Amino acid sequence: MDAKRFAALAAAYGGDLRRWPEAERVAGMDFAAGDMGVSILRHAGRLDTLLDSYRAEAPGKALHDNVLRTADRHLTQRRRQRLWWLGLGLAGIGLAGAMAGLVLVTVVTPEAGSDHYVLDANATAFGDASPDAENGEESL
Amino acid sequence: MKGADPDEELVARVGAGEPAAVQALVARKLPRILALAARMLGDAAEAEDVAQETFVRIWRHASRWRRGNARFDTWVHRIALNLCYDRLRRRRERVTDELPEVADPAPLPDTQAGEDAQRVEQALQAIAPRQREAIILVYYQEMSNIEAAATLEISVDALESLLSRGRRALQMILAREGAA
Repeated sequence: MDAKRFAALAAAYGGDLRRWPEAERVAGMDFAAGDMGVSILRHAGRLDTLLDSYRAEAPGKALHDNVLRTADRHLTQRRRQRLWWLGLGLAGIGLAGAMAGLVLVTVVTPEAGSDHYVLDANATAFGDASPDAENGEESL
Repeated sequence: MKGADPDEELVARVGAGEPAAVQALVARKLPRILALAARMLGDAAEAEDVAQETFVRIWRHASRWRRGNARFDTWVHRIALNLCYDRLRRRRERVTDELPEVADPAPLPDTQAGEDAQRVEQALQAIAPRQREAIILVYYQEMSNIEAAATLEISVDALESLLSRGRRALQMILAREGAA
């Protein structure tokens, strides 16, 4: 690594080599051991010290609890949605089963053909057993 | 981006509705998001709003989140930054309609560290938002150059340029203030 690249990296990432690109850290460490490297890092480190003084506050309890409450609300809603979809799915499966059954019955059950003898109230195994028929025989 | 995502398993558990995972994710990400928003906006109340809105998006998308090209942390930072930008834009629109703000005449805090912190905060607000973003991601959020570039959707070279210009601008402002 040359002085130009070392200075460019210090100007961008500061004086702490842990923030530098991983691929250039080892070469940077070698250069940092020399006088020029020390001087460049010291200069960059001055701004780092100032930046370090600006600390962010930790989240308060109220914010923390609010975030957890919104999570709870969303997760409960999602659980309800999931149950609703499950119910809808089961209803759909039931309906599909009923439809399949209906189709199966329609396809498998044969239609009554014209050569089939259809029973009516007047026909018996003994032929025409109606009172009129008996009377007719007697009149012969 | 190469390498395993340290948040992937936790996010999957959040997506499955595990309460312990929700608590762990909040503990892991809330301080980071709040710090990012506070430094981007320079306003604690607005930063809290941004943190809450970011988490609402996380809860909404956690069950469907798939890694793709970005890590979960990168995705979360992008959401938070977009929310910060919305607020900065609204602030600019409001400022053009209103009278310019008068500088706060209140004395700076007594301690040197407090004074420096306030100067840095003001200096950060004075530089270009893209430069501020780059410095916050790399310096304060401790992202690698590749992660920060992915979050900002720019090349690593462009990130380095933003960082250099941002740090130079900060140095100039702070030197004028007598801090650097």
